[in-house]
Amino acid sequence: MADEFVVDEAVGPSCVEVLTDALPVRGDVHHTERRVWFDTHDWRLFRAGLLLEHHVRKRESWLVLSDLEGQRISRQPIGRAAVTAQSLPDGVTRDRVLELIGVRALLPRVVASGPVQVLSVLGPEEKTVARIVVEGPTTVRDGAPVGLRARIESLRGYDKDAAKVCRTLDAIPGFGPAKEPLFESVLRAAGLHPRSFRSKPDLEFIPRIPVTQAFAGTLTQLREIVLDNVEGTLRQLDTEFLHDLRVTVRRTRAVLKFAHGTIDEDIRASYAVELKWLADQTSLSRDLDVYLLGFEDLVSHVNASGELEPLRRQLTRHRKTAHAALNRALRSERFAALLDGWQRELAVAGPAERPVIEVADDQLSRAWKRVAKRGDTITDASPAEAVHDLRKRCKELRYLLEFFGSLYGADARSEAVSELKLLQDILGEFQDAEAQRISVHQYAVELAKAGAPPATLIAMGRLEHHLQLRQDAARAEVADRWQRFNRKHNQRLYARMVTSR
Amino acid sequence: MRIVASYSIKGGVGKTTAAANVAWLAAESGQRVLLWDLDPQGGATYLFRVRPKVKGGGEALVSGRRDLRDAVKASDFDNLDLLPSDFSYRNLDLLLDAQKKPTRRLGRLLDSMADEYDVVVLDCAPSVSLVSEGIVRAADLVLAPLVPAPLSVRTLDQLRSFIAEAKGPAPDLLAFLSMVDRRRRLHRDLSEQLPNEHQDVAATAIPMASVVEQMGVRRAPVVAWARTAPASVAYRNLWDEARLHAKI
Repeated sequence: MADEFVVDEAVGPSCVEVLTDALPVRGDVHHTERRVWFDTHDWRLFRAGLLLEHHVRKRESWLVLSDLEGQRISRQPIGRAAVTAQSLPDGVTRDRVLELIGVRALLPRVVASGPVQVLSVLGPEEKTVARIVVEGPTTVRDGAPVGLRARIESLRGYDKDAAKVCRTLDAIPGFGPAKEPLFESVLRAAGLHPRSFRSKPDLEFIPRIPVTQAFAGTLTQLREIVLDNVEGTLRQLDTEFLHDLRVTVRRTRAVLKFAHGTIDEDIRASYAVELKWLADQTSLSRDLDVYLLGFEDLVSHVNASGELEPLRRQLTRHRKTAHAALNRALRSERFAALLDGWQRELAVAGPAERPVIEVADDQLSRAWKRVAKRGDTITDASPAEAVHDLRKRCKELRYLLEFFGSLYGADARSEAVSELKLLQDILGEFQDAEAQRISVHQYAVELAKAGAPPATLIAMGRLEHHLQLRQDAARAEVADRWQRFNRKHNQRLYARMVTSR
Repeated sequence: MRIVASYSIKGGVGKTTAAANVAWLAAESGQRVLLWDLDPQGGATYLFRVRPKVKGGGEALVSGRRDLRDAVKASDFDNLDLLPSDFSYRNLDLLLDAQKKPTRRLGRLLDSMADEYDVVVLDCAPSVSLVSEGIVRAADLVLAPLVPAPLSVRTLDQLRSFIAEAKGPAPDLLAFLSMVDRRRRLHRDLSEQLPNEHQDVAATAIPMASVVEQMGVRRAPVVAWARTAPASVAYRNLWDEARLHAKI
């Protein structure tokens, strides 16, 4: 039985009277309410089955957390100002939301407004046993209006009464079960589709489709993801926009590399240059984001938060400058031309050639061999460059597994990725510790020139030492992890993947 | 989850009205509140228009045969639920006594609600019994109404001893003067004197007021329908003090 009803336009104006005649109800005050649904850019709350709404009325406003079925979890009074992660009041909403959103910003995803009237359905002793919320017509910002709805709110311990109210409404002419909750209708009206959000391409290839088609489709999706993250990066809404932008550019560069022999060589080469330029523009900003996000953790290892405050200020200054430079790049004609050309030249399938599966087999075999060749030479005494080279080849293999993964059995693919990830984690730890250690040293030189207090420089020395220890610890594990990854089981796994169809 | 027990050794001193108003105020501030009416007279249950009946009675709840959560009823107010009274609660002492570690039992039962509620308010029957021991043991704060009278200090001392002698970690105690008639000199004097002399007596005193009596007619906490009445202001101040006192 539905608990939300669409009210026919003919009934609309007299909806409350019709309900009053049909049920013992008491009408509360009629309000005009503005509702703002908050979520992260990647819909983390929605994906966790939660809705966070800010209800703003003339004299009061509320923060409401509910599940996707409309069951309320919490309702707290809050000011009229826009809600942010930082302004959430203490309580269950704050706890659950912060845990889910992590570093992502809470953003107003859709705004709607309209009249709302709550009718209390009364039982014995005039106790409220259910509520009917009559909402609408609802005006959706940047979207078509949504018609009048009547939603039944059941109250704990009175489920039978709510079911009875639903049956009554179902029998009233002009009241029809809603196909979707109001929230979904409002989202659809605003052109938002949280279920189809992707931060990486959704790739499902049929083995025999032409490889040109596979590349064009992938590059189209990658371009869309880049575009989806530009605005948030420019406005620095949160650090994940830049992260996703950067990862997507990296994926695109890898895909272009795999397209050797499929996409025209001149075109491929020119976009390789342009995408490298774009990747370079994002590097410093992202490095500084990572640095500052992990700053507290880093500082806790050397027990010197006060002394390292000048370093934090310096990093913050550098980040500001780096983001300004990145924004100039993202607003430049060069970037616009890249996106434009990408659409025209990369996202279009060329003449049909080999089936995608042949190319996938070929590339995976070669990538595996490249990884194996580098890995086999790694010893405890290998230079850092050899470790970095292995890391790059592993990344390439990982992207290939992601790109062509749908062509292979899901189990084999996921096992291959998780085995590779174990190796990548340690290689990443080695690289990150090294990069941070070098920058701590450089920043120390800069701060010394700027006359930073000796305590700061001593603390930075300790930090550099800590990072060196982290890098050494990671380095000591590389050979072991490689041995684990390169064991017979995994060799057979990769061999099976390309021959098992 | 923080547990507040509205408790008094003596009856008719404003314990239920305090429990109902404090529960409503906590709910209004956005906390998820459960009010458990443990008094077989069912005053709080009546105030919230809920039927004073628990399926299986107190025995089913105390023994764990019935999940506490299944007995919860929503009140007419957002964020405020009620665990209704049942006439079988008159035998709650015996029912608890039949359990292992009886004084821990109520606390254990409430532990199962910790993910659903931020505040639990217990409206306790006036007595010194196994139930009150269990309540004191489960509570983080005991909110105790005192009627202004020459024997108030003695009542307060008895309460302190009772809390001190109960097993387990002692809850905070916040006594407050209730049913204060400002026309009476003794009431005025005690309202000033007791909070000054005793740290566990609230500065706020709840006045004797007809609006408080009308709660029984309106069947809703006074803070919900007469927000600016002196009694409502007093309950609001009392709750603010209690929150500070017990970090709620």
